Amino acid sequence: MSAPTIGQAPPAAPRTGRPATRRRSVQGRADARFGLLLATPALLLVLGLVAWPALRTTLYSLQRVNLAGEESWAGLANFRTLLTDEQFLGSLTTTVLYAVGFLLVSTLLGLAFALLLNETFHGQWLARSLLIVPWACPWVMCGIIWKWFVDGEVGALNGALYQLGVIDSYAAPLSDNTGALVVAVLAGAWRQASFTGLLILAGLQTIPRELPEAAMVDGANIWQRFRHLTLPWLRPVIVVVVIINTIFGFMQFDTVWALTQGGPGDATSVLSIYLYQQLFVYTNTGLGSATAVVLGVIALVLGFVFVKLLYRSTAIAEGVE
Amino acid sequence: MDQQNPRPGVGLTGASLSRRGMLRGALAAGLAVPSVPLLAACGGSSQPKTNDTPGTLSMTAWEAYPEQIRALLAKFKDQSAVPVDLSLIPNVGYGPALQTRLQGGQAIDVFYNFAYASTKYVDAGWAATLNKLPGVEELIDDMFPASAARHRLADGRIISVPYFSAVHSLMYNENQLRKNGIAAPPATKEEVYAQSKKLKAAGVPSPYAAYWTKQFLEEYFLVYLLADGITPFDGKGAPAFADDPRTLEVMEWWKSMYQEGLTSKEVLTADPGAHVTAMAQGNSSFFELHHYFLQIVRTTDGPESKNVTMLYRSPGTSGKTLQIGEVIQLGAKAGGQRAQDAWKLLKFYGWKDDSGAYSTFSSWAKAAALLGPYPGLFKDKDFLAAFPSYFDMAKLEDAFANQSDVVPARVTPWYASFQVKVGDRIQAMLLGQAGVKETVDSLASDAKNLAAAGQ
Repeated sequence: MSAPTIGQAPPAAPRTGRPATRRRSVQGRADARFGLLLATPALLLVLGLVAWPALRTTLYSLQRVNLAGEESWAGLANFRTLLTDEQFLGSLTTTVLYAVGFLLVSTLLGLAFALLLNETFHGQWLARSLLIVPWACPWVMCGIIWKWFVDGEVGALNGALYQLGVIDSYAAPLSDNTGALVVAVLAGAWRQASFTGLLILAGLQTIPRELPEAAMVDGANIWQRFRHLTLPWLRPVIVVVVIINTIFGFMQFDTVWALTQGGPGDATSVLSIYLYQQLFVYTNTGLGSATAVVLGVIALVLGFVFVKLLYRSTAIAEGVE
Repeated sequence: MDQQNPRPGVGLTGASLSRRGMLRGALAAGLAVPSVPLLAACGGSSQPKTNDTPGTLSMTAWEAYPEQIRALLAKFKDQSAVPVDLSLIPNVGYGPALQTRLQGGQAIDVFYNFAYASTKYVDAGWAATLNKLPGVEELIDDMFPASAARHRLADGRIISVPYFSAVHSLMYNENQLRKNGIAAPPATKEEVYAQSKKLKAAGVPSPYAAYWTKQFLEEYFLVYLLADGITPFDGKGAPAFADDPRTLEVMEWWKSMYQEGLTSKEVLTADPGAHVTAMAQGNSSFFELHHYFLQIVRTTDGPESKNVTMLYRSPGTSGKTLQIGEVIQLGAKAGGQRAQDAWKLLKFYGWKDDSGAYSTFSSWAKAAALLGPYPGLFKDKDFLAAFPSYFDMAKLEDAFANQSDVVPARVTPWYASFQVKVGDRIQAMLLGQAGVKETVDSLASDAKNLAAAGQ
């Protein structure tokens, strides 16, 4: 039952012969129980499929686990090992660079797609349908597609740039440390921008038509309308987008693996690849789980910070604070 | 509302099932579904320790030639009356998926495995040793002695049977070499370098093709060492390559081949398909990889495909090469008659059928020119007939029997970890981020540390 809003008369109490507050309290408790009842199956599934594995992983990170599954307490030893492992620290740096690039490119590109597709033009429906195509492509396929796209011998990108006279000879970005990381970011962000664009487009569709029209009448130019009207309106959507893109950026594995396997050398060896190697090559369950915990904590903390920062700005913008 | 419902008692407010009653039912069902795995998890593995019950065997394989695997299993059922339930896992990610299933307690009677993981699986209790099974000694004795080290460990444990085998060899475009004034294919690394330089100057874009991705660099490391007569690891698995000064020369050659543009720019990340295409189109003149790639190049139908042939060795002072192969293992959970049936399947799949024919290996030869490690195969008419005429079977047999090494260290439990290090370090060396001496020293140190840690 929704609470009455300001200016709206509260509903009249039913004639039951009992005081209205007591009736509401009993009804409220019944509603809460009913809600809980509805949510219970989903809650149990989340507990079984998310909370339990997360708890096990955290426990493993504090243990030494051999292949036979025998566990012994290790305390924080796995985390201390991580902090002194050059490979881990290198992977952490690569992951941060990757995630920042992924977040910026996917969010800005998605925003650009959404703004473009929110305009009315011929073939708008087709363009909107095409926006979903990258998202429909699995991460691993995305890596394979980009591997061919930027190929130094037969890649379409090289072909196009060469034909346009931008380059004199074909380049092989995947055989270069910086080039490989940039391509890995672009490949992942290309797919994520599609999803970001869809979310932001949905947000743009909720802006009442009268608002930009009124702003135009008041003389606001396109940048002012975007800055003072569209962006504040989209802020809740952008919060969600930024959090999702941050998490995807830090957790990325498939695209990078298909593209470079973490190479050349360890130029694109992000933490999820380090984690994969610890768990499935070195079969070091303790260290692999500790890496997973570190990744999880980073994503959680950043998500929390973004929520705080962005909701705080929303609140300030709305004059609540 | 009930009056509008033609079926009394099933409406949301009906007497037999109220909304609350229905929700209680849903709650009970909701509680029951996720509780099953939770309860199972709390009580340990839901699988029994061993399964002695005869019946349908379970087999897990990677997704290469699935129809052929099914046909082989159907044939096995015809011969033994034992049905097999096949579970296929995509090639990419097979190792982690199999490991997760076994670690989670799933009972798999027979499974494909990578040779480098086979000892680890036995040590973990996921795969059984085969020593006391009937016929296992005959199976091992039937192999080329060099190949047996992949299946029988130094401590005597027999841990697997062969799935397929192959040898690394140099393939080359005979016509392209002749047209450019090169009379014979390269016999040494220096000749590979010199001929590649000549071909590059003549306009061949990437004369030397090889699968130098991180995952495969370890195979090339061993191929190049063996070809120059360098022992990679001693009998105890210690990195003998580090004590041989010729290792530095091999690495210098390797670095020059990459840095002087004698390979494709994409060689560190390109798939074998790209190299096959380069050979078929004449963009590369040399291709070093498993022997069966000759068939793939020849059937690609490019303008140069038909001119590609094989050296049956790797260029170097000794001419030796690496013999590779993957394996099949027996799950540790089968007991009694079930274990006997599973062992029958292993023998059928990795050795001979009931009639004593190498029918499984003949079928792999027909499909993909794969080999098996048995000398008898090279006398088997069916097997020999499976290879196209451009394969010189006598030379292939010689390469297999006398000119190749399985490098027994490759099945030690720590080797998979070493393989990862080789990929990282050699790519860094090729890119000029690490020196040759530094790379060799680091690899030796990695091998020692990983072996000491048992990883």
